[in-house]
Amino acid sequence: MFAILALLIGIALGIWLEPSLPAGLTTYLPIMIVAALDALFGALRAWFDGTFSDRVFAVSFFSNVLIAALIVFIGDQIGVGSQLSTAVVVVLGIRIFTNAAAIRRAIFHA
Amino acid sequence: MKRRVVRGDSERPVAWSMDLLRQIRESALDPDYKAVGKHINPSRWRWPLVAVALVLGLVVAVQGWYTYKASPDTASERDQLISRIRAADKTNDDLRAQQVALEQQITDLQKKQADTTTQAQLDAQGAVSGGTAVTGPGMVIVVDDAQGTNAAQVTDEDLRQLVNGAWEAGAEGIAINGHRLTTRTSIRSAGSAITVDYRSLLRPYRIEAIGDPKTLPARFANTPGGAWWADAKNNYGLAYDVSTSESLTLPADPGLTVTAARKP
Repeated sequence: MFAILALLIGIALGIWLEPSLPAGLTTYLPIMIVAALDALFGALRAWFDGTFSDRVFAVSFFSNVLIAALIVFIGDQIGVGSQLSTAVVVVLGIRIFTNAAAIRRAIFHA
Repeated sequence: MKRRVVRGDSERPVAWSMDLLRQIRESALDPDYKAVGKHINPSRWRWPLVAVALVLGLVVAVQGWYTYKASPDTASERDQLISRIRAADKTNDDLRAQQVALEQQITDLQKKQADTTTQAQLDAQGAVSGGTAVTGPGMVIVVDDAQGTNAAQVTDEDLRQLVNGAWEAGAEGIAINGHRLTTRTSIRSAGSAITVDYRSLLRPYRIEAIGDPKTLPARFANTPGGAWWADAKNNYGLAYDVSTSESLTLPADPGLTVTAARKP
């Protein structure tokens, strides 16, 4: 319940804060969202496996998002541009699909 | 000879790339869930969920807002560009109209100045060069793209062939969609449009040629341009319609001045 409330607050905050956020942040956001999605799917799968833990979820979520942003930043700094983020998207994409398949099996037993 | 290492042996994988993919798939679920999950009392750890939800909402909302805001930007930029093109087109047309009016003034002044012989010479040469408007009987050719999607389209080369054929057949003056052709008129393509004298044409293309209406169409059919178009009509389905007219009026080309050339 608090989590849903926090989600709504976050959305409201995002819309309210947007004009004051620097434009340079836009390159980081997509990759951070992919990282967050990966953590979310991992958590959902863990929940179906019965091993879900809030702390692991939070730690994996924040570390994923931070590392994703860091990789984009490093990619920008060393001049390979978006190629590093492509690597991140591929790896996280595979993970998301694998976890989604496990979740599907847990729900539909198929 | 070295022992061939089987899959999953950490010592020396068979193929590194396959091992990488396998690792990603097998560690898709954060291993910490298994290691830590059971030992934590859930009620003590509600705040991480709240923090995660807050950040997730923030990130998604900001990104969504950016995307939402960016789309009208591109649309309005496009509208602005279109209106600027329209305005430039209008300025161009206005300037041409002004030029035509000024040319008319020059002609009128010349008529006052010149004697009849000189005036007759000027008229004859103006009609030939395209510097004055002319009227007379002639031939009208209307061409257009073929029907249907991905069908053949009229190109600048097609129009050049047609115009050259008409000159060859004995046309005394030619205009395409109301643009008089002179020795200095170019027929080119810019993007997907055909331009005559650097002004874009809209299809269908109507070519008016002044000349003897009895002989012009038949002679045109015998020129390479006529053959080119018969071929285009039969093989590519381009619309190609030749007719004659008793009275055609071709406008003057207002751009016929020289600035660098002098009489030797």
